[in-house]
Amino acid sequence: MPREIITIQVGQCGNQIGMEFWKQLCLEHGIGKDGLLEDFATQGGDRKDVFFYQADDQHYIPRALLMDLEPRVINGIQNSEYRNLYNHENIFVSEHGGGAGNNWASGYHQGEQVVDDIMDMVDREADGSDSLEGFVLCHSIAGGTGSGMGSYLLETLNDRYSKKLVQTYSVFPNQMETSDVVVQPYNSLLTLKRLTLNADCVVVLDNTALNRIAVERLHLTTPTFAQTNSLVSTVMSASTTTLRYPGYMNNDLVGLLASLIPTPRCHFLMTGYTPLTVERQVNMIRKTTVLDVMRRLLQTKNIMVSSYARTKEASHAKYISILNIIQGDVDPTQVHESLQRIRERKLVNFIEWGPASIQVALSRKSPYIQTTHRVSGLMLANHTSIRHLFSKCLGQYEKLRKKQAFLDNYRKFPMFADNDLSEFDESREIIESLVDEYKACESPDYIKWGMEEQGEASVAAAIDSKLVV
Amino acid sequence: MDATPGTPRWNLERPFLTGRFHQEIKAPGQAAGSRLFSMESFSRGSDNVIGSYPVSVQELLVIDDLLSALVGIEGRYISIKRVRGKAGHVIFHIDPSMDLALQELTERIFPLCQNYVLINHFVESKSHFKSGLVNHAFAAALRALLLDYQAMVAQLEHQFLLGRLSVQGLWFFCQPMMGSLHALSIVVEKASSNNFSGATTLNLLQSQAKAMAGDNAIRSLLKKMTQRASSAYLAILERWVYEGVIDDPYGEFFIAENKSLQKESLTQDYDTKYWVQRYSLKDGIPSFLVSVAGIILTTGKYLNVMRECGHNVQVPLSENSKLTSIESNHHYLECIKSAYDFASGELLNLIKHKYDLIGKLRSMKRYFLLDQGDYLVHFMDISRDELAKRPEEISVEKLQSLLDLALRSTAAASDPCHEELTCCVERVSLLKRLSTLKDLDSTEPSECNRPPDSDPQSELLSITGLETFCLSYKVQWPLSLIIPRKALTKYQLIFRLLFHCKHVNRQLCMAWQVHQGFRAINILGTAILRSSILCRSMIKFMNSLLHYLTFEVLEPNWHLMLDRLQTVKSVDEVIQFHDFFLQKCLKECLLLLPQVFKKIEKLKSVCLQYAASIQLLVPSMYVPEVASANNGAGSFGPGRSKPWRSKNKNQQLKLAAENTIICDSIMKFEKEFNDELQSLVPILSSSSQAEPYLTHLAQCILGLGSEQ
Repeated sequence: MPREIITIQVGQCGNQIGMEFWKQLCLEHGIGKDGLLEDFATQGGDRKDVFFYQADDQHYIPRALLMDLEPRVINGIQNSEYRNLYNHENIFVSEHGGGAGNNWASGYHQGEQVVDDIMDMVDREADGSDSLEGFVLCHSIAGGTGSGMGSYLLETLNDRYSKKLVQTYSVFPNQMETSDVVVQPYNSLLTLKRLTLNADCVVVLDNTALNRIAVERLHLTTPTFAQTNSLVSTVMSASTTTLRYPGYMNNDLVGLLASLIPTPRCHFLMTGYTPLTVERQVNMIRKTTVLDVMRRLLQTKNIMVSSYARTKEASHAKYISILNIIQGDVDPTQVHESLQRIRERKLVNFIEWGPASIQVALSRKSPYIQTTHRVSGLMLANHTSIRHLFSKCLGQYEKLRKKQAFLDNYRKFPMFADNDLSEFDESREIIESLVDEYKACESPDYIKWGMEEQGEASVAAAIDSKLVV
Repeated sequence: MDATPGTPRWNLERPFLTGRFHQEIKAPGQAAGSRLFSMESFSRGSDNVIGSYPVSVQELLVIDDLLSALVGIEGRYISIKRVRGKAGHVIFHIDPSMDLALQELTERIFPLCQNYVLINHFVESKSHFKSGLVNHAFAAALRALLLDYQAMVAQLEHQFLLGRLSVQGLWFFCQPMMGSLHALSIVVEKASSNNFSGATTLNLLQSQAKAMAGDNAIRSLLKKMTQRASSAYLAILERWVYEGVIDDPYGEFFIAENKSLQKESLTQDYDTKYWVQRYSLKDGIPSFLVSVAGIILTTGKYLNVMRECGHNVQVPLSENSKLTSIESNHHYLECIKSAYDFASGELLNLIKHKYDLIGKLRSMKRYFLLDQGDYLVHFMDISRDELAKRPEEISVEKLQSLLDLALRSTAAASDPCHEELTCCVERVSLLKRLSTLKDLDSTEPSECNRPPDSDPQSELLSITGLETFCLSYKVQWPLSLIIPRKALTKYQLIFRLLFHCKHVNRQLCMAWQVHQGFRAINILGTAILRSSILCRSMIKFMNSLLHYLTFEVLEPNWHLMLDRLQTVKSVDEVIQFHDFFLQKCLKECLLLLPQVFKKIEKLKSVCLQYAASIQLLVPSMYVPEVASANNGAGSFGPGRSKPWRSKNKNQQLKLAAENTIICDSIMKFEKEFNDELQSLVPILSSSSQAEPYLTHLAQCILGLGSEQ
């Protein structure tokens, strides 16, 4: 069973979106709530084994690890109708059950404490796969468990499985409403450092944008967590369709990511999905063509990351890469025409320092889910405007840090013991350099960025000397 | 025709039976039969010439002689002479002393006698085995007519014996037969002098009937003859169009079977002619079938295929569909047409449904055109080491078992045809292979006969299994008609191209992963940034190329073919559309454009070299340190000196990033890659006039069109 992917869901948010994700996968592959294949789903042609494996009685078990420091959400899962789906050995709930108290340091420290237990679980799953492709981590960056324990997990995975890919689906907090988690900026910053250094790819899911989309696009007055989570699960499942319904290209995660991520640190992806529907919601059915879908994916209102850029900055923002995963019954000639149209209309502003264009992956749709739309599309994009999101996080952190507020909670833990706050400073430095790098990407001479001090001459000389030889 | 039995000896030895006795006149030394004796004694006894009798007696005598002459027997006063060199031709002579008026009348009757002899001779000689069924039937029809004629002569003799027949009377009664036998003798003469048989005889009869259109009686006689003669031929035709069997012992039928072409050759021989030459049209198609000869040929071919599949198919017969006549109402043409419709529909049905043509093609597409490429990803994972060897060192058995493993454990497992897939390792690179396949309609014919690459030896040394790996597919009869060896080869060529592209892509992805290791340091301003961006350009190039090959070439053409196959009417159309699909794909995949293809190969090899050196150079700069750190750390318990270690590692990375060797080689690759890519631009734009799809390619890989 090649190129398996192990999903690790950490914390309240991580487990909630994870659960929605598995629900969606089960529906798409015709797997029942108890893991047994439905009668109608025997003629597949799909790849269930990337995300599932089969037990001796042939029922499908997700390659999922569920971790939390408090039992509430996981208990909820264990009492839900999907309780028999998961492997119970793969569920980890801290013995204290006290949670991390929305404190990154607590989550990180507790993660350190139980590392042997959780890495045992990870190793067991990894050994159970033929050629593991990588890990997918679902978490939020604002709370305590998902951010702190997730951070610790990222570092450990990176160490132990340095050859494997680590992709995260990271939920960014809602910036529009005042959060009940006052230390959210601290948690975000510390997690962002790990996401920058220890993940190969981060799919940014911005709760602000998710809420906005739920309100504006789906006309929900007060979107519930379940509803925004279903948006997330839609994105997650759509971004893995090329792995689960193999096509000509992008049949492995590394190929998918390599084309999107130009340099090691610029690995934060935005997503967009259209047409969106939420369960039990009757939407106006539009005519969907490939061109329609591709155009709508380029509209900022469909993108699941808010743009905090001011208008002037926004005009400098550029796409580094775009991958559109188009699902459904599509005539391939339409793709060519649509790309041509988009190119002619100059709808996309691409970086200037390298070749760039919209990549398209065509994928089949699950035959078991009836949708009213003929074509749907997911956009995975690497866009420089994401730096404004990080700047915003930095700004909020600075505000809080200036006041020296709430730092005592952190000083209780070894990393910040003895009033050693260098971790904060280091993280800030790294996020700043990340913002700089994205900013550099907007410039046409990104390649030579920072080379000035070394001098163009030496580079040119290097080329010349090679030429002479 | 050698197989036809010869005339039995007894038949030759006893000429009595052949009727030729009557012409074997007065062979000296022959034992004198009583009749002969009496004739001689009679003629000797009546020593006087006929002129010595009174005219009324002369008339009686000459009538008596004429009655004999009418059936080819010499009389007392009428002698027969054979014409030298012309079998069956005789000339009757009359005693010149006869009364001139009588002489004149008698000579008028002689042509009838001569025609009778001629036709009789034809009947006898064409009844031999070797003459063929059509001639047999024609001869039989003539014999029946001759029987009527003999009956008439007998009637005349009866009248004569009753004393009621005069020469004038004889002349009068002979009139109806005169015309018929004359017309037939013309036919017979032409037929025997040209040695016609089979279709030519039929054509002769038909054209003669047309030529005689003015004479109603003769025309209908000839038509009747044609009818009778063609019945045997139609029987052969019937078996062919209704059963697909050639039952033609004398080789008269216009379709020839070449038994040396076996259906197995379809899967083995690249240039197989099975479908075209197993059954073919010969010369000598009967004129009434010329317009439908092609249909007749394919009808039987289709039936034959079904029979070879073990289906005993027979076109359903009804009273109406008997091929009995070739009359002008064209009933026979309708019968043939409906037989064709049946055979073609039935075979199409068989191939499409029982043998699941579309399913097979889909499975070919999956494996050769990588429609569902996941199996290949896995296969390349597990066969990496084996494929890195030189072609002659690779164990095909091992590859096969790895391939089976990959097929079983991916989505391909649900495909019932996955067991038909085998793998093979070719000896030469794709570029070379293309130049050896000369009949692929390469657009640059000069390319074919150019001398082989400057250094074939170096190629032999450098290629590995990755360049030469190929799949093969066991195509079963009758689908091998549609996917013969040649079509399979075309699939293989496309597969090798895609496979290699995938390989390059994989290597670039691995190089990309090497770069990912530099997340810990800020790479702005280092060679690693440059390398990352070069890597990205290469990945972009490969992805665009693959996108072009799959979504712009294979997929649209496949859809087009599939649509056509839905409405197709016959297997020949299926073959035609499938070939068209392959040829178009081959062309648009650049395999037939050596100039462009070489550039692409060159670009791929630059990518490969780059990926290899990145994977080799970069880790060598820091990996040993990390390894030792790992060994030291061992467990992941808390309290290890992590900050120190990561600092140390970071320094290593920094060193690597600033290493001049790496920097230099990256610069070199960057320049080489960009130069190659730029040199592709003019080639593509100049050739895109003739080959419009190249504009698509240019748009894909060069991002052209955005500026326009």
